[in-house]
Amino acid sequence: MFILKNAWISIKRNKGRNILIGIIILIIACFCTITLAIKNTANYLINSYKNAYEKEVTISFNRENMMKNFNPSDESSREDAKEKFDSIESFTVQDIKSFADSDYVKSYYYTYSLGLNGNNIEKAEIETDNDMPDFGGRGRKENSTTDFTLTGYSSKEAMSEFISGTYTMSEIADNAWDIAFDGNYAFINSELADYNDLKLNDKIKLEDEDGNTYELEIIGIFKENEDEGSEQLSMFSNSANTIITNADVVSDIASKNEDLKANINPTFIIDSYDNVDKLQTEFYDKGLDENYVLKTNEEEATSGVSSIQNINSFATTFLVITLIIGGVVLLVLNMINIRERKYEIGVLRTIGISKIKLTMQFVFELVIVSLVALMIGAGAGALSSKGVSNALLANEINSTNAKTEEVDKNFGGMSDHGMKDQMHGRGMPVVQAYDSIDAVVDIKVLLELLGIGLSLVLVSSIASMVSIQRFSPLTILKERS
Amino acid sequence: MAVKNKKENNNVILSIKNASYRYSDADKDEYALKNISFDFECGKIYAIRGKSGSGKTTLLSLISGLEKCTEGEITFDGKSLKNMNLDKYRNSDIGIVFQSYNLLPFMTASENIILSMDANGLKIKNKKAKAIELMAKVGLKEVYANRKVLRLSGGEQQRVAIARSLSYNPKMIIADEPTGNLDKQTESEILEIFKTLAHDENKCVIIVTHSPNVCEKVDTVYDLKSVKK
Repeated sequence: MFILKNAWISIKRNKGRNILIGIIILIIACFCTITLAIKNTANYLINSYKNAYEKEVTISFNRENMMKNFNPSDESSREDAKEKFDSIESFTVQDIKSFADSDYVKSYYYTYSLGLNGNNIEKAEIETDNDMPDFGGRGRKENSTTDFTLTGYSSKEAMSEFISGTYTMSEIADNAWDIAFDGNYAFINSELADYNDLKLNDKIKLEDEDGNTYELEIIGIFKENEDEGSEQLSMFSNSANTIITNADVVSDIASKNEDLKANINPTFIIDSYDNVDKLQTEFYDKGLDENYVLKTNEEEATSGVSSIQNINSFATTFLVITLIIGGVVLLVLNMINIRERKYEIGVLRTIGISKIKLTMQFVFELVIVSLVALMIGAGAGALSSKGVSNALLANEINSTNAKTEEVDKNFGGMSDHGMKDQMHGRGMPVVQAYDSIDAVVDIKVLLELLGIGLSLVLVSSIASMVSIQRFSPLTILKERS
Repeated sequence: MAVKNKKENNNVILSIKNASYRYSDADKDEYALKNISFDFECGKIYAIRGKSGSGKTTLLSLISGLEKCTEGEITFDGKSLKNMNLDKYRNSDIGIVFQSYNLLPFMTASENIILSMDANGLKIKNKKAKAIELMAKVGLKEVYANRKVLRLSGGEQQRVAIARSLSYNPKMIIADEPTGNLDKQTESEILEIFKTLAHDENKCVIIVTHSPNVCEKVDTVYDLKSVKK
């Protein structure tokens, strides 16, 4: 107890020095609070982004595996490769449903597409001059055997072109999104609409090579947004002859004609990227050809938060530099303090105060000053960090809102029907739910600050600890005499 | 080594047996003290006399447990200092008084005395009253209790230092040139205090000095001769 009393007396006696130490600790505490709060906010945003990005898995060809023994100059090798390629079994909707029936899969969606010819509509196409090179593409003169590509989506989540902004809805029926996945409805490209003079609620007929016809009602007209850098070598966009419908329509058509070759592309939403290998093994067990592999969107999800991760790294570096500089300054101040108080140490040791108690007294002095400075510094830091962190958050909210509005526009401005909620799974962060974070300096930050403060005190007390161990009281007193 | 008034007594509180001390950085045969053997009894006042460099202060630091002898042994109350907690020894068993008083200048006279009680762990209700009582015992009025020690004269500071050394009622008082900075009158008064402590309160008082006046007034004088180097 008397150690504490002595520490308090010493603090009062050495006001100037203790105020100086207090100011330094206060500045360190203030900087630490700001950086810890920024780190806290950055981690929060990173987690928000990661949570917002559904963890997606798609099935891709394992080209590396397929091309392993392929020698293009060897005729037999080429034939083997072709045979191998032809022998790879595609998968069906039933397979996808079977794959999705897994503990690791939260949900799934898929696109289903096949080629059909027009019955009451004509393909949007212009014959090119002989001199014009053929660049391919569905809207241009191409080698495709069918006029149109009919793409069916299993749900809105699957409509990645609208989410990414490649397609934008220019006209849409009032109840389009209520019925789009429940019947024979279609979205067509505005160029195809213009070419065939089609409008909303018109009915288009498509036919397969056997002459079977399929009727679809137009409930939306979209346009394709060309990349700014892309060269305009055709009158029509790539998607001019793409007709969008739901996956059931495509599945029905495919089931009626076995000669139609349909492509199916599933996407599975999983809980954790850690389970991908287990999921792949499970898919193989369920019959997936081993020339397929699972690929995730982890890289895409991580790249979205790279700027925040940079802020986080900067805050960490700033914190470390602050602590190193602060620690060194405190250490030097304590060394000066000890030199000035050698006589006092000598007297106290002579009257029988142990080295441990004396060290404790010096540490207590620093702890008391530090605690007061830490509290003031944490308060000042909290006030400043709230502004800094919320500015950081506001930036993110603005960019997120802009992105959400853009997606809404792509779907024809129908976001009132819960679009935002549905789009969470496609890279739409949830941070827009908050316009400020009140608890920037929360208990975690305060505990971290306390830990840092006490560590600093202990490090800077090393000077006093070592000196007290080394000093010979008699030598000190003789020097004084 | 001259011994005055030497007689056999079993009342020995401190015994030095063949004690030698050599600084850690000194040559093999270079001793600050060599083969010293003294006994000190309760109820007596001793003087250790010697020229400069004879090892008086070294002996004092060995007796007070601030240093440990490199050879030989010192026992207090039958126990070797080597086996004792020397902090406890200094804050309970002995009181040390220095020539330059060694009081803490930022404290008052009573605070210096109370600090010593605290170091001892003394549990009494009113430590300040006890401090004032001790000050009165060494001839200081109550009015000095709340004065910073730097505002006291040399003699007054030495009295405070003696009062501090008595604060936990030790069996032995060790004083290093306690009157070296004082005038004759004050020296006599301080010596009277020491004599009273030894003869009336049965304490062992050891004074390290080169003052003939002090040596005349003590019961026993031990002479220290310079060690040949």
